[in-house]
Amino acid sequence: MTAVIDARGLSKSYGATRALEAVSFSVGSGRIVGLIGPNGAGKTTALKAILGLTPFDGELRVLGLDPRTQRDALMREVCFMADVAVLPRWLRVSQALEFCSGVHPRFDRSVAEGILRKTDIRMASRVRELSKGMVTQLHLALIMAIDARLLVLDEPTLGLDLLYRRRFYDTLLNDYFDKARTIVLTTHQVEEVENLFTDVIFINQGHVVLEASVEDLGSRYQQLTLAGEQAARARALHPFYEREVFGRVAMLFEGRTAAELKPLGELRTPSIADLFVAKMQGSAST
Amino acid sequence: MNSTLADIADGAPRSAAPPARPLTVTLLTLVRREFWEHRYLWIAPLVVEGVLIVLGAIVGHGRVHLPNDTDFSGLPNLEAQKVAAFTILQWMLSVPACVVLVGVVSWYALDCLYAERRDRSILFWKSLPVSDGLTVLSKAVVALLAAPLVSFVVALVGFLVFAGILALRIAAGGVPSVFSWDLLEWFRTELVMLVMLMIAVLWYAPVVAAMILLSVWARPNPFLWAFLAPVVAPLLERIAFGTHYLSGFLKYRAFGIWGTLAHGPTHGQLNIITHHGLHPVGTLLDEFNIGAALTDIDLWLGVAVTAVLLYAAIRIRRYRDDS
Repeated sequence: MTAVIDARGLSKSYGATRALEAVSFSVGSGRIVGLIGPNGAGKTTALKAILGLTPFDGELRVLGLDPRTQRDALMREVCFMADVAVLPRWLRVSQALEFCSGVHPRFDRSVAEGILRKTDIRMASRVRELSKGMVTQLHLALIMAIDARLLVLDEPTLGLDLLYRRRFYDTLLNDYFDKARTIVLTTHQVEEVENLFTDVIFINQGHVVLEASVEDLGSRYQQLTLAGEQAARARALHPFYEREVFGRVAMLFEGRTAAELKPLGELRTPSIADLFVAKMQGSAST
Repeated sequence: MNSTLADIADGAPRSAAPPARPLTVTLLTLVRREFWEHRYLWIAPLVVEGVLIVLGAIVGHGRVHLPNDTDFSGLPNLEAQKVAAFTILQWMLSVPACVVLVGVVSWYALDCLYAERRDRSILFWKSLPVSDGLTVLSKAVVALLAAPLVSFVVALVGFLVFAGILALRIAAGGVPSVFSWDLLEWFRTELVMLVMLMIAVLWYAPVVAAMILLSVWARPNPFLWAFLAPVVAPLLERIAFGTHYLSGFLKYRAFGIWGTLAHGPTHGQLNIITHHGLHPVGTLLDEFNIGAALTDIDLWLGVAVTAVLLYAAIRIRRYRDDS
């Protein structure tokens, strides 16, 4: 399968700060990829490089195009949402539709109108008159009306309440996503969306710490919960992370078999959030 | 390029990349967008003409107050004087519009690419398939073409409304008959104003382009730069070197072309009304040395500089990001 995004040795510095250090990863077609990392990890820098918003070193192909030199062609196929604050406050809803249909060859105005009809957003309203949640709905309606191959979302639900967040992801998944599209998403609320992802990329301090599909996570990582007295035996199997919960110990292992771990305690696949915390602390201490 | 893109579509079959919207459609959309955001571009000339019409034609007494030194002695008869008064009215409704246009275009040029950085909407605009070149070009088209044309048309229509109202009041007998319509004079005067506007646009284009460049580049605020730089820089030059090259240059760029345009008895002074009498206004076109203005090397150097400045603005916007 040809990759939608293919990064090889992607590097970027801001002065003396290395935001990305020779990062390599690839994103296949029809995937929903979570790009996850703490603040300042380099997520946004990576997304900006992908979208041709910042110069960088290294090799990067997005839909076969170089974002540095072919940005205009790329933006016909790619859509992005930086965060909720970016729609200009003076813009009317009707003008937003008018503008997008005037400049975007893949924008279908009737789709956007259909989505907006299900909301409380009126055509004559200006963005400044809408609530934060409504602005996000409007932005999502614009994006979903664009028949894009790659959708990049950088913290799209930041500052929204739970209801709007849930509705946002439901709409995205049910009405937009299909096998011909690819979504790359960054978010702080990993727990809420982890069922959405088909793949995850963990990024920390400019490095890719983990890149895996969600199916692979189950066979690669194991979480063992056990009573304190068993801990010594389990530690002999070299867990890469361990923490105490209500008097019991939770350990994370990489590449162990169920036969090795099962006798020691309760075995399950770690959640993405748990794995993220473990990997971040692990990579921070080295 | 299409083949590269098609290679990747190994999921569901999809149409190849569609061509971009026709350039004219995109550019027209971009220009309309500017008038949505910067509504003063069309509101300001409307307000000016509206105020002039209300004060002059509706509330006014129908008397035309000419400047004190106006001398009608060069005109053969009363009818010629009335036609002259008509033409003077035409100028009186245009000059305020031009003054406002200078302010409007300056403000717009300084704000047009700063606004998207200030409200962070730049990332939204950049998420759409509009190149930086086309974006900057659309701003230049608005500042140098659309806004002047809007101002010109509003002033033209404004004068017709003004004269129409006044003519009705004269017909009703309420006010003295102060002017006479003369279609040919009207047309000539509009033509003169259009030619002056065109030359003004060409001459001031590099100034506008410099403001657009400031708008895309300046931190923290392009307005600060635009107002302080022309004051501080010549001052520094005078203190450091005791010379006046910069202020001389600025003065030349501000007024230089009008000296070239006017010749004959006016000696570089472009006055509609002179001590030699009111220019029989139809001959004003002959007073202008349009050929000299349009072949002025500094005019075209300025146009070349405009292109360079706009190109710089395009390059800077490519990776401009304050977030």
